[in-house]
Amino acid sequence: MSAAPAQMGLLPTLKQRAFATPLDTAITLVVLAIFTWLSWTALDWAVLRAVWRAEDVTLCQQAGAGACWSVIDARHRLILFGLYPFDQHWRSTLAAVAIIGTVVLSCIPWFWTGRRLITLWIAGFAIYYLLMEGSLIGLEQVTTDKWGGLSLVLFLFSSVVLLGMPMGLGLALMRRSRLPVVRLVASLIIDFIRSLPLLTTLFTAAVVLPILLPDWLQGDKIWRVIVAFALFFACYQAEVFRGGFQAIPNGQFEAGAALGLGKWQVLWLIVMPQVFRHALPATINMVVVTFKETAVVIIIGFFDLLASASAAFGTGEWVPYYMETYVFIAFIYWVFISSLGQYGEYLKNRMKQEQH
Amino acid sequence: MLGWKDIRRMTRQELALQVGLVILVLVVIVSAVRSAQINLTALGITSGFSFLERSTGWSYSFSLIERAIDDSYARTLLIGFLNTLFVGFISIFFATILGFVIGTLRDSRNLGLQAISGLYIQIFRNIPLILQIVFLYAILIHFPSPRQSLTLFDAVFMSNRGIFVPVLNIPIGVAAGAAVCSILLGVGAARWARSGLSAFWIWLAGTTVALAFAGFIFTPADQSVLSIPELKGLRFVGGLTLSVELVAMIIGIVLYGAAYIGEVVRGGLSEVPKGLVEAGNSLGLSDLAIWWTIKVPMALRSIIPPLGNQWIFIMKATTIGVAIGFSDLFYIVSTSITQSGQTLELIAILMAGFLLVNFAMAQAINWLNASLALKGYGA
Amino acid sequence: MTGLRSWTKAAIAAAGLMASGGAAIAESPTLKTIQERGTLLCSGHNGSYFGFVEVNDRNEWKGLDIDLCRALTVAVLGDSSKAQIVPLSWAQRFPALQSGDVDVVIKATGWTMGRDTELGLQFSIPYFFGGAQLMARKELGISTSAGLEGGTVCVAAGTTIERIVADHLKSENIEHTMVSFEKTAEVISAYTSGRCDAYAAWGPNLAVVRATQIDNPDTHVILDDKLSSEPISAAMRQGDEEWVDIVNWMLAALIKAEELGVTSANVDEMVANPPNPTVARLLGVDPGMGERLGLRDTWAREMIAEFGNFGEIYERNLGGGSPYKLDRGLNNLWSEGGVLYAPILD
Repeated sequence: MSAAPAQMGLLPTLKQRAFATPLDTAITLVVLAIFTWLSWTALDWAVLRAVWRAEDVTLCQQAGAGACWSVIDARHRLILFGLYPFDQHWRSTLAAVAIIGTVVLSCIPWFWTGRRLITLWIAGFAIYYLLMEGSLIGLEQVTTDKWGGLSLVLFLFSSVVLLGMPMGLGLALMRRSRLPVVRLVASLIIDFIRSLPLLTTLFTAAVVLPILLPDWLQGDKIWRVIVAFALFFACYQAEVFRGGFQAIPNGQFEAGAALGLGKWQVLWLIVMPQVFRHALPATINMVVVTFKETAVVIIIGFFDLLASASAAFGTGEWVPYYMETYVFIAFIYWVFISSLGQYGEYLKNRMKQEQH
Repeated sequence: MLGWKDIRRMTRQELALQVGLVILVLVVIVSAVRSAQINLTALGITSGFSFLERSTGWSYSFSLIERAIDDSYARTLLIGFLNTLFVGFISIFFATILGFVIGTLRDSRNLGLQAISGLYIQIFRNIPLILQIVFLYAILIHFPSPRQSLTLFDAVFMSNRGIFVPVLNIPIGVAAGAAVCSILLGVGAARWARSGLSAFWIWLAGTTVALAFAGFIFTPADQSVLSIPELKGLRFVGGLTLSVELVAMIIGIVLYGAAYIGEVVRGGLSEVPKGLVEAGNSLGLSDLAIWWTIKVPMALRSIIPPLGNQWIFIMKATTIGVAIGFSDLFYIVSTSITQSGQTLELIAILMAGFLLVNFAMAQAINWLNASLALKGYGA
Repeated sequence: MTGLRSWTKAAIAAAGLMASGGAAIAESPTLKTIQERGTLLCSGHNGSYFGFVEVNDRNEWKGLDIDLCRALTVAVLGDSSKAQIVPLSWAQRFPALQSGDVDVVIKATGWTMGRDTELGLQFSIPYFFGGAQLMARKELGISTSAGLEGGTVCVAAGTTIERIVADHLKSENIEHTMVSFEKTAEVISAYTSGRCDAYAAWGPNLAVVRATQIDNPDTHVILDDKLSSEPISAAMRQGDEEWVDIVNWMLAALIKAEELGVTSANVDEMVANPPNPTVARLLGVDPGMGERLGLRDTWAREMIAEFGNFGEIYERNLGGGSPYKLDRGLNNLWSEGGVLYAPILD
């Protein structure tokens, strides 16, 4: 079935799918017109009539001027790096590259073994942290309250995934346990966290937790928020793993036992690799969602991409150019999220084909 | 529950593990309570719920019911809760409709329709919701001021304060009753009418007649049937005001939610066996009839569970209102915390509110699932 | 971070130390935590609150409140770079203080009874005075809040202004809608875009915003009504009197220095050659200034050398040395027609 269109040429396909009936033709033409108009308007505003350089900001006020990218030219460092010290921005840039590199590398199938993935992520995260914090490798120390912009988003994202993944696996295993108390505790945690909006969980971690925790457990606000976010991630990821477990026939446990392997050995050597494979598309989906959801940390007072963007157009001369700034960061988010999403789609399709 | 038999079947190790876990949970709870006690006493903060009766002394952007600055905390929190439910349900309603449209277009044979719905999903799904809402809000508040507002027939106005529309001059209770009747009629029509189109006509006619009737009976004697917004000083009086925060919230959540629901619907529709559609074609049914009588009912079975998750997600997404000054429950709680200092109590109220809503919605979705299965579409 | 428990424990320990005799001064638990940690945690803002807590083009914090925080850090730790500014929204400043995420809130914070009692806070002597006011567009043709009948007012959420304005408009019987936001930037942007007819804020800040943050200052007026007069103080956790003393005397020393004519320029000269006994005490030439607070004797000298006296700090951040050019008005010394008074340094 799926092979059929491939055998047809481009023109017959077009004829069949775009111009089959008069109604089809009309719809296609209208859509084409809309697309043309949209792209032209966007191109005209964003490129043809745009003002590019910070010095030319006076031109933005003239009638007929398009997008005023001067604001980005002048303030992009604030948007990308937040409050990070100005002359240390190269560290923030390298750190961000380390995280992006980690994500890109983990898309390559060669890395898809437990050990390689874990090593890769821990290495990427360690590079990030050492560069950003600095004092451990002899650079000037920059404390976490100064981390901001895109690198803060990447930091939150990677630490949440790194911490949340094992927590999610733990919760999933607890929920599958034979022991009723263990099961009950896991279900209570999972259902409770899943019922609350993420913002509520993070707000609680930022504001309420210090009152409830003994002092040696408190840590920085950013770490409390990361742990809470990771717990949130874990509760959803646990359900993803559960789906993966359900896809595995029970006989495998028995077969493993018959081979004389222990319960945990069967789990690690035979079952888990399959669970990961089954859960992969949904896991990528969770990772994408997590990246998107990091944007809410602005509300609990972090200087993330959205906060630094509004700071960028928040002063004097830049006030009128909110649109350009939002478009800029929307584009950044879009590139990250949509490429991760596309990769997830590709993987899903590939796995579907493998099954057939 | 745990019987003696189960316990006896466990090894000593397993029993110890579970007892240990119970003790651990207890220790965590007890130490949290003790820390809270110590910390609160050290800070001299009074705990308890008596602050709920004190008046707040501050105001906020939106409320469905009458409010004043000397309202008690209890009433203000209730208003926040109602606002959350209101925005949540309206957004769910429209996001579901738009999501079905998008999903159907994605599933269509026509390349043009596929492309445009694909573009929609690409854009609205891949940008964080909070960014979309903040962006949308920034655009809306740069609309003309009330005095230069855009208008349609001098009855509908649009300005940076919001949208102002004419409304029937009926008490709020009657209006709520009419809305409930209209929804019931819609559900009934969708269930028993022969096609989607006829269901829509039945619903529209029924609602119009009911509203006209209500308008004639319940309009106060000295007022006109229709209240039309009118510029007076700095604002519009009369009509219905949809504040710009509310509009930004609803549009933002609907656009985002519809992109997700569209994918759910497309998935459901694409699982309907091709043979059934071909059978409909050979019976000479129109595309619309095939969609309504064959595809949608068959697809609903697989659509409802993920759709329910999306609904719950939308309800939780209303907390983002705090970013643009919309007074949802989260916003009210967050402001109350600063103004009253009762952090623990207010967070508990916030959590209880969401647990309640979530539980109720999960029950409703289960019921919907079960009733669909009973109707005979189920396998 | 600093735990509440640790400082209650430390308080008990300190009390024990006192009871066990000796001339040891009761040591502030907060001070001890700060010294152990090596940094002082101050309140920043989630964006810029111009003139007081703002982020400049090089992404550094500056402003009157930031300078005060850094001056405090010099007093306590001897190095202004040890100040760590934690970004916080208005609504989070007190929870953050209560939880120990910051050691002190110096952020245009008004001293109110509710905060002093129910929130478990303690306030320093006031260092700034200003009342809530309203700003509106000139084209509305109004000069008092009465003209706002039916209008919309924008305000920052979780502030005293929120309550004061609501109170005022209610007592004047002015029908209005209030829209409040978590971030100052959002309030300003809502006002400049025309979402609101009026912007309610703290007077000095309104003037700053009008001078530099909106397109054309002449098209906006600050209305005549003075809605309140607010004493602005530093806020601290209750139960640490010694820490409050330190913050109080840090502020007092800055004001006193201005009164005595000690500036960053002439401080070294004054140390070498104190003109009178008070200056000698203030700058630690005569011992006692530090010991009584559990600090170094030279803390005020170092602080003034780096930041100057209160007048210099004002000039740099709000006055002639800043883009805002704000008149000192009430915030001048009593001898210059203002209300700033320092306690006696004996």
